Amino acid sequence: MSNQGPLSTGGCTSEQFAEVVKALDGDSAAATALCQVFATSNRTEEIAFGLNTVFMVLSGALVFIMASFAMLEAGAIRSKNAMNILLQTVLDGAASAIMWYLVGFGFAYGIGDRPNGFIGDALFGLARYKSHETVTDVRGDWTSWFFQWAFCATAATIPAGAVAERFNFNAYLGYSLFLGGFVYPVVVHWVWCRTGWLGYGTDAPLLGAGMIDFAGSGVVHMTGGLAGLIGATMVGPRMGRFDSNGQPVHMPGHSAILVVLGTVLLWFGWYGFNPGSALVADNANVASVAGRAAVTTTLSGAAGGLTCLVIAVWRGRSWDLTYLCNGMLVGFVSITAGCSVLEPWAALLCGGVAAVLFEAACEGLLKLRIDDVVSAGPMHGVCGAWGVLIVGLLAKKEYVEQTFDRDIYPHGLFYGGGGKLLASQVIGILAIAGWVFGTMGPFFAAFRAVGSLRISAEDETLGLDASKHGVRNLGRAGVRKAMPSCRTLDPLNCVVSHISCRVESAASFPITPSSCTT
Amino acid sequence: MASAIATAICDELSTSASSVADVSLGVNTFLLLFGGALVFLMHGGFAMLEAGAIRSKNAMNILLQTILDAAAAAIMWYCVGFGFAYGIGDKPNKFIGNAMFGLARYKSHYTGSGMGMWTDFFFQWAFCATAATIPAGSVAERFNFNAYMGYSIFIAGFVYPVVAHWAWCVEGWLGFGVNTPLFKAGYIDFAGSGVIHMTGGLAGLIGATMVGPRLGRFDADGNPVEMPGHSAILVVLGTVLLWFGWYGFNPTSMLMITSTPAATVVGRAAVTTTLSGAAGGIACLLNGFRRHRGWDLVGLCNGILCGFVAITACCHVVEPWAAILCGLVAGLWFDFLCWVLLKLKIDDPLSAGPMHFGTGMWGVFFTGLLAKQEYIKEAYTFRSDDVDAYHLYGAFYPHSSGKLLASQVIGLLAIIGWVCGTMIPFFFIFKLAGALRIPPEMEEMGLDRSKHGGSAYNGTGVSPSAPGNDVMRNQPSAKVLPLNG
Repeated sequence: MSNQGPLSTGGCTSEQFAEVVKALDGDSAAATALCQVFATSNRTEEIAFGLNTVFMVLSGALVFIMASFAMLEAGAIRSKNAMNILLQTVLDGAASAIMWYLVGFGFAYGIGDRPNGFIGDALFGLARYKSHETVTDVRGDWTSWFFQWAFCATAATIPAGAVAERFNFNAYLGYSLFLGGFVYPVVVHWVWCRTGWLGYGTDAPLLGAGMIDFAGSGVVHMTGGLAGLIGATMVGPRMGRFDSNGQPVHMPGHSAILVVLGTVLLWFGWYGFNPGSALVADNANVASVAGRAAVTTTLSGAAGGLTCLVIAVWRGRSWDLTYLCNGMLVGFVSITAGCSVLEPWAALLCGGVAAVLFEAACEGLLKLRIDDVVSAGPMHGVCGAWGVLIVGLLAKKEYVEQTFDRDIYPHGLFYGGGGKLLASQVIGILAIAGWVFGTMGPFFAAFRAVGSLRISAEDETLGLDASKHGVRNLGRAGVRKAMPSCRTLDPLNCVVSHISCRVESAASFPITPSSCTT
Repeated sequence: MASAIATAICDELSTSASSVADVSLGVNTFLLLFGGALVFLMHGGFAMLEAGAIRSKNAMNILLQTILDAAAAAIMWYCVGFGFAYGIGDKPNKFIGNAMFGLARYKSHYTGSGMGMWTDFFFQWAFCATAATIPAGSVAERFNFNAYMGYSIFIAGFVYPVVAHWAWCVEGWLGFGVNTPLFKAGYIDFAGSGVIHMTGGLAGLIGATMVGPRLGRFDADGNPVEMPGHSAILVVLGTVLLWFGWYGFNPTSMLMITSTPAATVVGRAAVTTTLSGAAGGIACLLNGFRRHRGWDLVGLCNGILCGFVAITACCHVVEPWAAILCGLVAGLWFDFLCWVLLKLKIDDPLSAGPMHFGTGMWGVFFTGLLAKQEYIKEAYTFRSDDVDAYHLYGAFYPHSSGKLLASQVIGLLAIIGWVCGTMIPFFFIFKLAGALRIPPEMEEMGLDRSKHGGSAYNGTGVSPSAPGNDVMRNQPSAKVLPLNG
């Protein structure tokens, strides 16, 4: 990346060339040869930079495809609210991008003139980014903003599943901006910015150790999951979710196909989320780190999925597809913290235990009559915390050394690494939980106080798509016209129409259901 | 003074060399990580394809099985599969691997593209998962779930790894890149038309034959009854994701890209893959029109996939025009095999047998006909001299020794023999125990309701009383043709 002199001087500037010639007693041919070596060196640096860029851009794109979370959510709720959740999820990508640009990236990674450990103080609106560090040592690195935005978008969209089907849209937009622009970036600063107070790779790590959270079980998943849980608690359960005795009423989603599509795309995208968090690809250590992350991610997901499936059978729910998909996702969420520092067998353990914790937490929420529609609180909040915790127990020293560049390497308790790492992990969990409760609690409370947290009962019965998003083709005439061309219309709208027809025909005069299929 | 300069020069050179080595490793790691992720995405695409191609009352079942395959394959690959495939222990043998079980001591063992490479385990897992899931399409809608789990574990943990060892481990007996190649030639199968597609497809075909056809698939006279799938949209989504993922499956099977020959091979593989898929799709589309006077969307999708399956063996060593030929024949061969299966009253709902076994076999054979000398040398630079000395290239090129073709034929026969020899007894045991097929009541009701506690579609257009009462079936049209013609 340095300026090259004229061809004969290879990678040397004219002054350097003159010096080299002098050192070689005037042998300019030898000097040229020597300078060519430097040219190769520069070229290699350039290629390394290109490699890192393509690695990060593609990883970031993979993280973005995890917005197919939209498919999962849509399939997991009733079809009358499908458009609403799809809108919200796509909007999260957009809103988080604007907030990340304006303030988020700065609060997270900005290192100004007088940096502090709590919050970033530079790079707002990407101002003067060329002279500031941006995540990696490279100055003026565009890809960092992009890659980190993808993580911000993930955190911002996680709560949507918890509060689905009854949340006020203004409140939704509000928390999306707040979470993406402030709550999440502050946590990032603590853990992933070198001037933060909590992370393992910071300048002055906590207790000499610091919290390891490679790709964000805590930073991303706990933040989003706990925010969702708070929201779900404060907005109250969906109408009809709990009967008058407080017993849960089964409310299945409308399409298992969409749930599976969402799960598969999330799984695929996780190969950007975890290995990509190596942030570079140009040396042997990170190649090993990234490869290992891919292995542990796969194994944890597999273990989580199989464990949840076994739990389903044990509970008498036979081979339940939703359990399998949820199980895999909790496996992925929990390995996200330690994917680069755990052994493969530890990854299996991580996923298996996460599945058990997930099921227990879901049961707990039902007992407390909290309606978390996609179990985002248990999945991201609880299993995210478990993912952070297991690192304190089973982080292998050799792998930690490969992942971080430091003087001393506190590592997993069960490897004789002392308790400092574990203590940091626990402090981290408590700090993140405290921060999210302390910000999102009052935030949601404020909306609730002005009656803007929940939609009206009529809107909820009719469904958000019809009441809020202008889906109008639910009249009987519209149904009759729509049905014959169901194959060519958007199937989602088509089946929405079909439900309505069947509901209406069952409720009003005795039309046989088959008339809805013509 | 001179030695100071020499020291400075040598330091600079060694720094330069090690940073080149580092960057090179980084590039190849990146290639394999993304390649593996793309191959995994094909798994998801296949799930969508299968769901769309069967009746909606069994959709959850097949989705569950397909996702489960990926998980079960991961565990089996970790425990034994990777070791059986690529493990080279103290006394290696050509039949099966004997090291690296549970990734033990992987750091000191050769792992496929290097020593102690995590990416190798991950990348190869994705291929193992593919082989393990292919049979699901053949046995869909009536297979016992325990038998399914059983064969998924068996294929991923044993049947597939052994074949991979033969063809792709340097200690194997069959492959082109092994230490002691067969006939001094060896079998070329770049990304697995034989190793993966023939293995999975034949296992599926055996299963479909032994479990018997779906109820109502053949009438009392033995004529086939149409049983179209419930969603062409899902079939297309699946096909597109498979197509996209195939750009990981084929090109990145070079395992490295950091030399000019390697990069050229990777690029060529992407070209031939595309052309073969295109040709296969057009062949099936035109053939479908000839037979039914309609433009069959599902036929087009099937043809495209057949083209991909066939070219998978030789995408790195054939000319573009040869890739087109490969795909054209693959599509027509597929249609023919589907017709044969119906005549034999074998019900293969996804036609996975004809597609993966049939066209996979064609791909392996085609390699022996039209693999080009110059391209083989480029892809297997360490065998360049052998290729010249023994004329190891396609039989249709002048002065070929035919040894490559012979190796291809031996390879496909060996795979057939191995899969039959393992899967026939395996399924037979389940059949004897009465655990191969679900009871007829369950089949009528649909697996989702009877086994999986619900339905894929809740509160949408599927009547609970009429089984298989789906949109496509209600509105028969010349434009929407059944899967198996």
